[in-house]
Amino acid sequence: MGTKKLTVLSLYAALSLAIYAAESALPPLAPIPGFKLGLANIVTLILLLRGTTRDAALVLTVRILLSAMLFGQAMSLLYSLAGGVCSLFVMSVVNRLLRRRYPLLTGAMGGLFHNAAQLAAAVAVTATPGVIAYLPFLLPGGILTGLFTGLCAFSADHFLPRS
Amino acid sequence: MGNAKSVRRTALFITIFLILVTAVSAGCLFAAAPPSRGPVAEIYQNGLLIRSIPLDQVSEPFSFLIEGENGGRNLIEVRPGSIGVLQADCPDQICVRQGFIDSPLIPVACVPNGLVILIRNDAETVSESPDLTTY
Repeated sequence: MGTKKLTVLSLYAALSLAIYAAESALPPLAPIPGFKLGLANIVTLILLLRGTTRDAALVLTVRILLSAMLFGQAMSLLYSLAGGVCSLFVMSVVNRLLRRRYPLLTGAMGGLFHNAAQLAAAVAVTATPGVIAYLPFLLPGGILTGLFTGLCAFSADHFLPRS
Repeated sequence: MGNAKSVRRTALFITIFLILVTAVSAGCLFAAAPPSRGPVAEIYQNGLLIRSIPLDQVSEPFSFLIEGENGGRNLIEVRPGSIGVLQADCPDQICVRQGFIDSPLIPVACVPNGLVILIRNDAETVSESPDLTTY
């Protein structure tokens, strides 16, 4: 990896960590565990739109590890990883199928699968199938917040310099 | 851009998929609306909830004794759908005379022993029975 790329990706990682920190300072949107805007996903989406899946995966991994070390506990690392990996995989496939042209749809699919994977992780970790009761809230919630982050990524894309 | 059409079709499929997921979730939420819970009797002692009994799950009447801090005792009987005080060792016996209650309207209270029994009805049904009857 060249110095320039390393620098750019580091900046993106720092940006997404800052967004993550800012978002965790906001009050929760809804009294549902796991329901959040997922604004840091904007960075992942931007990288998918203009970079490669590898770039997005690197930045995402760095962000998840750093945020878990700085703000979270071991458990939140597990949930973040489950949601992040699944969502990145789905977004990468969808984005490729859609030839990078529908960031809103890509974001919505990402949000949906992020929440689905996170809930699956919660079921596995807590061994209580009852938490599936959150599914009807979390799935549409993931779609909605994903549409929003997709919109943000789409708008931000115009203002970022083409490297 | 020979495959612009197939991209658009994929986008359409994904949109339909997302709408379906939302619709199914909404359907689940409506279908699994919280079960309307029947009346629950709550027994408070000095303001603290010490026991709650779902009255619609009572099939056989049963009774139990509640002892207060200062030795006051109330014998409470639970019947299907209602609750009341059978015996009390307080001087005025008001709680015993209040009889059995089956609605949230008037709680049973034994002031000397700091005991209050009230019924909570979580089901949002408008009662067709009279609000209050006086004799």
